[in-house]
Amino acid sequence: MKMENMSLSGLDNTKLEALAQDIYSDLVEDACLGLCFEVHRAVKQGYFFLDDTDQESMKDFEIVDQPGVDIFGQVYNQWKNKECVCPNCNRSIAASRFAPHLEKCLGMGRNSSRIANRRIASSNNTNNKSESDQEDNDDVNDNDWSYGSEKKAKKRKSDKNPNSPRRSKSLKHKNGELSSSVNTDPYKYNYNTGINYETLGPDELRSLLTTQCGVISEHTKKMCTRSQRCPQHTDQQRRAVRVFLLGLSATSLPDSNTAVESDGYDASDGQVLMSRLQWDGSSDISPSDSASSKASTNNSDSKKPKKKKKTSLNSTGGGGGGSGSVGGSSSQGCLAGQANRKKPKLPVPPAPSIYDNLN
Amino acid sequence: MNKDSQMRAAINQKLIEMGERERLKELLRAKLVECGWKDQMKAQCKDVIREKGLEHVTVEDLVVEITPKGRALVPDSVKKELLQRIRAFLAQHSTL
Repeated sequence: MKMENMSLSGLDNTKLEALAQDIYSDLVEDACLGLCFEVHRAVKQGYFFLDDTDQESMKDFEIVDQPGVDIFGQVYNQWKNKECVCPNCNRSIAASRFAPHLEKCLGMGRNSSRIANRRIASSNNTNNKSESDQEDNDDVNDNDWSYGSEKKAKKRKSDKNPNSPRRSKSLKHKNGELSSSVNTDPYKYNYNTGINYETLGPDELRSLLTTQCGVISEHTKKMCTRSQRCPQHTDQQRRAVRVFLLGLSATSLPDSNTAVESDGYDASDGQVLMSRLQWDGSSDISPSDSASSKASTNNSDSKKPKKKKKTSLNSTGGGGGGSGSVGGSSSQGCLAGQANRKKPKLPVPPAPSIYDNLN
Repeated sequence: MNKDSQMRAAINQKLIEMGERERLKELLRAKLVECGWKDQMKAQCKDVIREKGLEHVTVEDLVVEITPKGRALVPDSVKKELLQRIRAFLAQHSTL
């Protein structure tokens, strides 16, 4: 007899209830059998009584909630865990100073690598070894060994160089007049460090000049170790040094004459304006004067010969042109002018142009 | 009587084929663990094992001792819920 032919509709409620009870008892028996097999396996494997614990032994392992002790009831030293032992020098250092100490101790940080590079470079020069050690000794400022380093750091904040570029204030104007105390030399740095270029090989020189300013000082005969954007030296000076040290192939810097003129106000512009006013003896400046002065500066700066533009120049205009030719509109114009007077500029080979074959 | 036994066999087969038996078994197991039945049964098992001895206890001993107690200790709420599910299944499949 097949299941499809059978129907439950003919069964009354009592039989249906008996069927349901039967299925239920089967399920409960299955659950009991499963539990029995599980327990028997645990007994034979030996892990059934592992979770048995004695109440008296449990009291020994209760969590202790008392002040001054940890959860195990042991008194702990509050300062002991705030000290670390340096793996390099085996000194005990405060945890708050451990990271900066490790940076200097292992010599892997940013400043440490700079100092290390300087030391390597200065170790080649045996004459100035003691001097460079005095300059670059980072242990003078290394407060890793003391607990009061935070206080010293706060004191050091006020000892910053007042002539640093970040501290330099912008020029103030009062009713269109320039303030009388114009700082004529805004970039005065107190950098004594330098590298003696005579002891370095050509490869070392090339690698140094790709990352550093490299302008040779007239007094100390050492190279400037700051970046290529060093504000103390001009691009012309840097280019001249590279030509002098590496030959004509080392013109990696952009030409300072081709720099884009900025429309912003600058200190050197102010000085040029002041000198022009004093030279003129008249405070009345017409727009044509400024145009003519710009034209004259452009003509004086350009290398290629151009056709002269017809401009109506009066006496003040001529004066403006004369004074305008002192320097460009960049902030380093005066410095560049001095550099031009000091050193004759070496000829730069013309760059090959894609339009050469057309001419 | 022969007809009743055939009917039961047919219903059990249908339960197994449709997977309803496994679902009911899992539901029962979860409910029994939830209400603490399993822990009670384990405590009973420990008593039986201590009585018979750790090395000499067999599965038959455990089944004989535990199954009647297990049936009796099932909570009424679990029993009602399970019977309701079984009745719903039987009503749904009244024409096999």
